[in-house]
Amino acid sequence: MKSIAAGYNWLVNALAVLSAVTIAVAFVLIIVDVTVRTLGFSPPSYTIAVVEYALLYMTMFAAPYLVRQKGHVFVDALTSRLPRSVERICAKFAYLLSIVVSLIFAWFAVELFVQSIQMNLYDERGIDMPMWSLYLPIPIGFVFVALEFTRYLIGKDTMYTDRTKPRDSV
Amino acid sequence: MEWYTAGALMLGMVIGLMALGVPVALAFLTANIVGSLVFVGHLAGLLQMVDNSTSMLTRFALAPVPLFILMGALFFHSGLALRVFDTLDKLMGKLRGRLCYLTVLGGAMFSTLTGSSMANTAMLGSLMLPEMDRRGYNKRMSMGPILGTGGLAMIIPPSNLAVLLASIANIDVGQLLIAGLLPGIVLACLFSVMIFLQIKLNPAGAPAYEVPRLGWLEKGRAVVVNLLPMGLVVFMVIGFILLGISTPTEAAAFGVLGVLILTVAFRLLTWQVIRTSFESTIRVSGMVFFIIMNSAVFSELLSYSGASSGMLSWATGFSLPTVAMVLIMFITLLALGMFMDPVSMMLISVPIFFPLIHVLGVDPIWFGLLVLLALEMSGTTPPFGLLLFIMIGVAPKGTTLLEVASAAFPFLVCDTILIALMILFPQFVLWLPNLMH
Repeated sequence: MKSIAAGYNWLVNALAVLSAVTIAVAFVLIIVDVTVRTLGFSPPSYTIAVVEYALLYMTMFAAPYLVRQKGHVFVDALTSRLPRSVERICAKFAYLLSIVVSLIFAWFAVELFVQSIQMNLYDERGIDMPMWSLYLPIPIGFVFVALEFTRYLIGKDTMYTDRTKPRDSV
Repeated sequence: MEWYTAGALMLGMVIGLMALGVPVALAFLTANIVGSLVFVGHLAGLLQMVDNSTSMLTRFALAPVPLFILMGALFFHSGLALRVFDTLDKLMGKLRGRLCYLTVLGGAMFSTLTGSSMANTAMLGSLMLPEMDRRGYNKRMSMGPILGTGGLAMIIPPSNLAVLLASIANIDVGQLLIAGLLPGIVLACLFSVMIFLQIKLNPAGAPAYEVPRLGWLEKGRAVVVNLLPMGLVVFMVIGFILLGISTPTEAAAFGVLGVLILTVAFRLLTWQVIRTSFESTIRVSGMVFFIIMNSAVFSELLSYSGASSGMLSWATGFSLPTVAMVLIMFITLLALGMFMDPVSMMLISVPIFFPLIHVLGVDPIWFGLLVLLALEMSGTTPPFGLLLFIMIGVAPKGTTLLEVASAAFPFLVCDTILIALMILFPQFVLWLPNLMH
């Protein structure tokens, strides 16, 4: 059981690292593209398409880590004023709902993924990208998100941190 | 279904779930799933929902968001921000209320190098509050400037929220970013004037104290070594956009490059800095993108259900003057911001407000800046403004919400003066963006 948990934790962290790598890749591609263009040469045709896909992969791969790090935005103006027992029920409801909608989203993303392979679809951008690669990160991200919310649902830890602490934000 | 029932269902569901503590992104996702089933009526609606959410994220216009966040994270985590602050401190000399002015100057400078108001406020709060307390500043003089200045990052480019707003509202990112430059500088000046007036009225609130005297040579050296190089980053972001070398999206990457060059030059780049900065970046961008991936579907469902057009006809049916309509929207945003975070506010209001201002003939760039100001002000508006609670968290024990809110009030007056200037002289906002054509 411990090794499964360790393997799972490793996967969540590895996805977060991949997420960071996609940002680094986007950064390098844009710098190269503008530099090449400014020097009067023809820039690579794939930059925009790859950067656009990187944004999706970055988001989906960071999503489980974000739940684990309690990084989601929530409003606790009402629930924090409720009795502790009611607040706990609200929290469990929030986790359960998050699990259900994440799995629904993942399910329909899998359907689109399978359809795009069966129909051999391509996404026409700066370069043609296989459509399945657009849908691939979504079920991965959302299934892990559902698993992370399950940890809160069945465990003692809570996602709701102190509202008065300055958090990373825009 | 009547438009108001559809609107109430969608907006009510999002607001109701958020009130129950459901994470904002998941509240929107739930509303989208229910809305797709109710309005589209079959499972194909859910496939469409996933497809549209995916398309929303894979847009080049959104690329500046993680890059600007990375740029700010590198700036703060590497210690570059501290160097800038220390230098400004040296330059300030003996001046009554110097720490208040330092807060405004430092905050405005940080705003040109980062896009995060929260990071800005947290940084200013942790640096300045203990020092102001030690020097005998009263709470009004210590907390007010920090609360006011923290929000400057929302307006002064590069602003993460401006990029998000522009991409959600389908307006020109570069123009909205540049539009904030002049009003942001004017607002910083208004804050300084307000501090001056407050000190005139109550000199004991910010006692003068002896500071080590520095020669001109030493001051000049500090500027050349620590401040002037920051101009490289500002030039690589704002200069490159204005000169047409790069698009706003690409300028964000050059901003990161600029900060990287400086951290290497100052020998501040370590593995730990890179790791922390990237971790912070994926947390913030992941959180924001996870919310906005649902925005396209949410606004499409509002439109598909007839709620958007119904609301539009209803709102324009009152035949109120344009200024009154704009002010009503502004007040609505302030009210929303009392209990909602800026990104959620944008997602709820943009699908309704931007079509409305289009009908009213209001310039979207001008209105975009007004929305950013509303977001900035709502953070310090009692009873639930987020920045007020953050300030209580870092302020000395026993500080009350009333004390924090009253400290923030004079700076809200400055915001109001700026809005009046924007209404009276729209060119004050639109002059720089128009130069970009």
